[in-house]
Amino acid sequence: MVVLRGFLVLSVFFLLGEASRILFALPVSGGVIGMILLTATLMLRGRISDSLAQASGALISVLVLLIMPGVVGIFFQADAFSGQWLAIGLALVLGTLLSVLTTLWLLQRSVRRAGQEHGND
Amino acid sequence: MTDLIGRLAAIIHTLSNTLVDSPSANAVLAIALTLGAFMAGNRLFALLRSPILLPPVVIAACLLGLGLTILTVSYADYHKGAQWLTVLLGPATVALGVPLYQQMHHIRALWRPILFTLPIAALLAAGYAMIIAAAFGASPEVVASVAPKSVTAPIAIGITEQLGGSVSLMMGGLLITGVVATVFVDLAVRWMNIRDPRIIGFALGLNGHAIGTARAFELGTTAGAFASLGMGLTGIFTALTLPFVLRVFGF
Repeated sequence: MVVLRGFLVLSVFFLLGEASRILFALPVSGGVIGMILLTATLMLRGRISDSLAQASGALISVLVLLIMPGVVGIFFQADAFSGQWLAIGLALVLGTLLSVLTTLWLLQRSVRRAGQEHGND
Repeated sequence: MTDLIGRLAAIIHTLSNTLVDSPSANAVLAIALTLGAFMAGNRLFALLRSPILLPPVVIAACLLGLGLTILTVSYADYHKGAQWLTVLLGPATVALGVPLYQQMHHIRALWRPILFTLPIAALLAAGYAMIIAAAFGASPEVVASVAPKSVTAPIAIGITEQLGGSVSLMMGGLLITGVVATVFVDLAVRWMNIRDPRIIGFALGLNGHAIGTARAFELGTTAGAFASLGMGLTGIFTALTLPFVLRVFGF
């Protein structure tokens, strides 16, 4: 029962997200809007109920199960992207290499600068 | 022998087609296949001693693909039946707000570097991939499918649907990105001589979503916490900005 109460809270926030997406014609999924609303609510309240923590932990632990129907589709739809695999492969591998280097460089630079301003390190 | 296999295949074919024709049986079949592959994938992952290059979801997806092929269930039928599972992705996305709230206090320790890095790095993670894909002649559908490659799966599905990409292609790209991001962060950190677990963790979560975060937790709880934070913030930021940015550029 405890987990179900948490699941009800998650469902309500998802429905709120979907409703605002449709009402305000937002190009953002209802799940993301619901997630932001939930995070904001929790930050305002400053605490989280056991039932919500349990329900979210349970759902997150089976996330892989929920995304598998989408993942497996690539085996059956690969033909649709023939001739574009070089572009896809380069975008993924080279793009990720570049973004990893950019992230680390930006973080290292800004952490160093923040450290110098505080006079420590 | 070959005759026996042929007869067996015919029986399986008839049986699975009978099940697929009934909507409720088709749904339970899809759920059972997904559950079975998920559990077998986790078991195999543990047996192989948690290989970083082969996350459980990849193993499970291969087993599921194999199962569908053997049972001659079409992807369209499977996908229809599996909607009972995928409909839960909405509430599951909302659930990500809970760990995000729990990790939020870590921002205080590093808020300036995070606020400075996040918008640039998250947009570039999408931008590099889109520019490279477009430069090598990928179709708009493919460009939209590689855009959310660094975003955690449930949020990325929402982004791809909004942009008009292929969810399956995006998911494949997401997994590859998670694995190569983990390898590249490991290498780059050594090359750049970075030892701060907060930086390493945040970079893993920002670029490698859940797969990078799993790696960060292996490095320690601090790296794991910052990876969770990086993953959550990147997901929200990308979901909120990417569709608007693309709309401005007339995508």
